[in-house]
Amino acid sequence: MSIEVRGLNKNFGDFVALDDVDVTIPTGQLTALLGPSGGGKSTLLRIIAGLEKADTGSVSIEGVEATHLPAQKRNVGFVFQHYAVFKHMTVAKNVAFGLEIRKRPKDEIEHRVRELLELVHLSQFAHRLPSQLSGGQRQRMALARALAVEPSVLLLDEPFGALDAKVRKELRDWLRRLHDDVHVTTVFVTHDQEEALEVADEIVVINEGRVEQVGTPDQLYDEPANDFVMSFLGEVTHLGGLALRPHDIELESSPSLAGSVEGTISRLVRIGFEVRLTVLTVDGEEVSVVVTRAHARAQRLEEGRTVWLTPAPGAAVVPRMAAAV
Amino acid sequence: MADTLVPEIVDAPPAEERRRPPRVRKTPVTYLMRFVVTAYLFFLVAWPVSLVATNTFANGFDSIRSLVEDPDMVVALQLSAYVAVWSVVINTLFGVGISLLLVRHEFPGKRLLNALLDIPLSVSPIVVGLALVLVYGGRNGWFGPFLLDAGFQVIFSTPGIIMATTFVALPLMIREIVPVLEEIGTEQEQAAESLGASGLQRFWRITLPSIKWGITYGVVLTLARSLGEFGAVKVVSGNVLGQTRTATLAVEEKYLNFDQQGAYATAFLLAMVSVACIVVVAIIRPKNHP
Repeated sequence: MSIEVRGLNKNFGDFVALDDVDVTIPTGQLTALLGPSGGGKSTLLRIIAGLEKADTGSVSIEGVEATHLPAQKRNVGFVFQHYAVFKHMTVAKNVAFGLEIRKRPKDEIEHRVRELLELVHLSQFAHRLPSQLSGGQRQRMALARALAVEPSVLLLDEPFGALDAKVRKELRDWLRRLHDDVHVTTVFVTHDQEEALEVADEIVVINEGRVEQVGTPDQLYDEPANDFVMSFLGEVTHLGGLALRPHDIELESSPSLAGSVEGTISRLVRIGFEVRLTVLTVDGEEVSVVVTRAHARAQRLEEGRTVWLTPAPGAAVVPRMAAAV
Repeated sequence: MADTLVPEIVDAPPAEERRRPPRVRKTPVTYLMRFVVTAYLFFLVAWPVSLVATNTFANGFDSIRSLVEDPDMVVALQLSAYVAVWSVVINTLFGVGISLLLVRHEFPGKRLLNALLDIPLSVSPIVVGLALVLVYGGRNGWFGPFLLDAGFQVIFSTPGIIMATTFVALPLMIREIVPVLEEIGTEQEQAAESLGASGLQRFWRITLPSIKWGITYGVVLTLARSLGEFGAVKVVSGNVLGQTRTATLAVEEKYLNFDQQGAYATAFLLAMVSVACIVVVAIIRPKNHP
């Protein structure tokens, strides 16, 4: 296992950033730390990198006990949300920094920098200053700089958070492909569940300083451990004491299935190809249901109609908790 | 690894880094304000300073020549330069250190230290001179007799002049560097750290190049201030001709002795050094560092 975190605690004054966190991050995979802002995921990443010190607990990287190792000796690559480019150096010098610190021979550095700039598609910008690059280019340069020292793990702190939606999407796909080629153990922090579901091999959901669940995107989506994970990964509604996704509810105009719940459509909104309904059940619950446009038309759904609701077979459901999010 | 199959990413051109300020429509008020500012600067600064120059060269280069031919004046000018250079060196070293301390570290008494740093600007230089005499005075000072016994004279000697000048120019460097340090933040240094750079390497390769323009302006301001220091130096130097009389003290002496030509010529030389510094920096600084 590449990164082992045991019993990590971190407080900032009264604020509990991490509360007894245990995480194991597998070698060679792309792992996402997912959670809402202020949930402690960035703090965890910075502690792994050695940029922050834990109050208690231990970190080991590639089997090496790293808890008290300074950041400069951990051999981790770190990519910051706001790039942290060295403003006074050219793109090539930025990428070469870690190698120059390691006193590698000049021609080796030159060769490696050229290789990396090609990898991140910045060859033609080698002699420019970072201020002449766009945000996406700067972040790719920062990535090349981190990869230059052949780190045992690559850590990315909200790497696409400062970029606009389109560039973000491009870089996300690109990071996935890059990882498939380079295979360095990679951990990235994100609060965007779509980003995590799309890119990561494994997701660690962190909330209020605790690990809520660890699993593959499919596991998390299909078998959420609790109400929080379920609601964080997508829309959630409640039907008969269960939490489930609005598109996982079957809706019929006559009670043909056992256990179906009767209700009246109180609101109907059409958004593109889908139709969102609010159904007021006889038990007094307000249930959101999403059906396709074709389905809604075939059943001639409209406000005020009586319908029967059932969880679809194979739907991901968790029992509703008292402290639902 | 270089020949990986990664789709080409189309890059948007980088955003315009420096935007022009929006053009303001010119009204009579605009012209009136321009006139007021220009007149104000002319009567307060430009005209008096230009008169020093015209007075200096009223008889061609005679006054400058007689100045450099007077051995006592040469000593005074050399002493001023020597003191100014030491003041710049000391203030640069401590200025960078204190600035890093103020921006990057939290410690009890930080606000007090911050306030103390402005004392040299707010207190009259005369007070600075008297305070130094109280501590380092050879006969009655708190610490001076001890130093004198050790064979080290501070007051009425060059070390005292350097101390007084350094004291007076102390905040200039720090006030230039602190905002720059605050602006660059710590992320670049953290990135360097994660890339394996030691504390010293981070300072030399990242921090120092990032604040070099702050330091440059600080050096210019400190140099100009140190060359021009008068009050504090007058108290601590003893003003001995040919030994502890600096150029500014010589200006006063000449002026009081009705050697107005000599006074103007010396003043002109002092002013020129400061102006030259500012001009050189204005020329060599990169365009995007306002």
